Amino acid sequence: MQATVMTATVRGVEALPVEVQADVTSGLPMFAIVGLGDTAVQEARERVRSAVRAAGLVFPNARVVINLAPAPLRKHGTGFDLPIALAILAATRQIPSTLIDGSTAVGELGLDGSVRPVPGMLAHAYAAAQAGFDLLGPSAALAAAAVVGRVRCRIVDHMRVLTTGRLVSEQPRCHSTYEGLATPDLGDVAGHHVAKRALEIAAAGGHNLLLVGPPGSGKTMLARRLGGILSPLNDDERMTTALVHSVAGVDERPTLAGIRPFRMPHHSTSTAGLIGGGSPPRPGEVSLAHNGVLFLDELPGFGPAALQALRQPLEDGTVTLVRAEGRVCYPAAFTLIAAMNPCPCGYLGDAKRRCSCTLPTIERYTGRIGGPLLDRIDMRLRVDCVDPARILTCTGEEESSQVVAQRVTQAIAFAGDRPHTRTLAGTRLISACQPDKSARTTLETLARTMGLSGRAVTRTLRVARTIADLCADEHVTRDHILESAGYRLGELM
Amino acid sequence: MSTKRWEIHLHDSDYPELLRLSPDPPHTLYGCGDPSALGPSLAVIGARKATPYGLTCASRFAGWAATNGIPIVSGGAIGCDMAAHEAAIDAGGTTIAVLGCGADIDYPRRAASLLDTLRSRHAVISEMPWGAPPQRWAFSRRNRIIAGLSLAVLVVEAGLPSGTFGTADHALAAGRDVWAVPGSILAPECRGANRLIRQGCAPVTCEAELRDELVSVGFTLGELPADGREAPSEQADPILAALRADPMRPDDLAFHLKRDIISIACDLTRFELRGSIVRLRDGRYSVSRQT
Repeated sequence: MQATVMTATVRGVEALPVEVQADVTSGLPMFAIVGLGDTAVQEARERVRSAVRAAGLVFPNARVVINLAPAPLRKHGTGFDLPIALAILAATRQIPSTLIDGSTAVGELGLDGSVRPVPGMLAHAYAAAQAGFDLLGPSAALAAAAVVGRVRCRIVDHMRVLTTGRLVSEQPRCHSTYEGLATPDLGDVAGHHVAKRALEIAAAGGHNLLLVGPPGSGKTMLARRLGGILSPLNDDERMTTALVHSVAGVDERPTLAGIRPFRMPHHSTSTAGLIGGGSPPRPGEVSLAHNGVLFLDELPGFGPAALQALRQPLEDGTVTLVRAEGRVCYPAAFTLIAAMNPCPCGYLGDAKRRCSCTLPTIERYTGRIGGPLLDRIDMRLRVDCVDPARILTCTGEEESSQVVAQRVTQAIAFAGDRPHTRTLAGTRLISACQPDKSARTTLETLARTMGLSGRAVTRTLRVARTIADLCADEHVTRDHILESAGYRLGELM
Repeated sequence: MSTKRWEIHLHDSDYPELLRLSPDPPHTLYGCGDPSALGPSLAVIGARKATPYGLTCASRFAGWAATNGIPIVSGGAIGCDMAAHEAAIDAGGTTIAVLGCGADIDYPRRAASLLDTLRSRHAVISEMPWGAPPQRWAFSRRNRIIAGLSLAVLVVEAGLPSGTFGTADHALAAGRDVWAVPGSILAPECRGANRLIRQGCAPVTCEAELRDELVSVGFTLGELPADGREAPSEQADPILAALRADPMRPDDLAFHLKRDIISIACDLTRFELRGSIVRLRDGRYSVSRQT
């Protein structure tokens, strides 16, 4: 007797459809799973056997063969447990075929018959919606389906419900609103006006920013406050970002609540951890920061390979990993905020402490970043300790994150339907900027006298466009260009 | 290599007399270039991590002295030393670099082309044998040769603590004069030079003062040529005026001038484009050498 249940396996951020075919025939009792499953799929045999029995159903004392089609596609993870169990139960006529028809099933089984969610529920719900199937799985499927829309759910939280012979098709329910952690407020930071302005521009236009300064000058403190001034995610961004988080098994509730991701991996993170990789391939930090911020503190502490691997996603907004089992593509359109000391001892240019580094050691230290990566960072800033006396006299005068966030949101609204500033280039950039005559001459002079590369000119213009957005100005003027260039020029290191 | 190499021993007749009279003169001088350059000279020294202020002072005073036929001695290091050597070359004068490594070694590597020029038309000397690699201790030892070769030492920019103090001590031990160019009392880069003045070194703030000091130690100088330099114009932009007094960061400028940060940032870039100001490695802005 045979039966087929639809399911899917996640590759990249997509759930690819997989058919679970069960064949139960007489013969010596055995249970085999074929179709390029990994260890987790092979181990499903033990979980399925116990879970079926725990639910009061019968595991056939016969020859059971499961095929996962298409067979050449590698399959990962524990989400096949439930579909395999369903296929066996359907093949032995313990459940009616109406229960599984028109659905795609996913879920991990416990030995007691409980059904648990797996990473990538959102991708499964998305694939189900695309194919016009119901999503059959644990109740976490409801939340995922609510995000995707246009998909109904059949909920199985325990194998026991299968004995009733029917599943109620349920409407997706929105999960409770997410109570985010309070992000620290910009209003608590005295001074640092240049850095605050740069953060505002970075938030409004998604520009990359490098903060250079001695220890304790407030680089990390400033960068952490960026989260509080970012505009909320729009529906499209919410979906794509939540998909990556769901696939990676990261809590996607903040994303679904519209909070942009703010990732700050430690500098010991490997290249695979940062960019994505491993087997099966998993999204890296750059993809988890999709539509959000990737904050790399102590930038030179990251491995040279990891740093240079950042260049491609910074330019393209995606990461393509090519592995023996095929190509996997993850979105990675993130804003890079990096912080570093000006020299190994940290105190180069500090007003109070003396730098003990020699010039060659400073050059070696800063050389780890490399010109190509530095060229892709739109704004570089020196951050210095604020005079303690001024911290005390300035209390209460600083703008709060809320005020800045409002300006950022207004700037984004002003930019309207124009493609994201980060993606503008060439004639589209020029037509978006509509620079006036003096702006053009200034930019030309800049490029000539300061020896800016083509990319540097483009990026200067992009930042100027964002500055103009913040001023609600259709045209990029000379002052916008001058301010923008100020964040790029100079040898900070 | 076409450059001439020579070795002079303490008892040779062409061993520099001033150096012989100094305490602890080196037994052998290894040199490249022109040995006759080793006459009584003026040492112009300063910090490696120099600001435009230090570089300007180094080239201004070294250039002026070289124009008037005074050989300029310095340490061949990057920063103020290089500026002094270059100014002396540009002025058509004589200049001598005293290295802490072998005189045939290009160190610091960034100064390689300058050292080449010095070896072919001026002089590069060292007490270290040919091919000796740079070693930390050797550089403080060579400071006594810089002091020993010169009738006076001019410190153009020094922080605290500073290697130039070693040279100053050697100069005082050898009975030579030490002069210093004062700087802003706010700038950490000027604390060393200002302290030297406090300790009794003569301050040098213009060519006329330098001339008087040079004459007092026995140099013979012609008439002071007309000073073509203009005093900084009074109606300069407030930003330029503020930066001339003390290099500052945009935040400090905005605070002191009571202006908003965005307009300050625009003006700074405009001045930077014009070449009136430069950005230091530590993020402060300073008036440039041409201003």
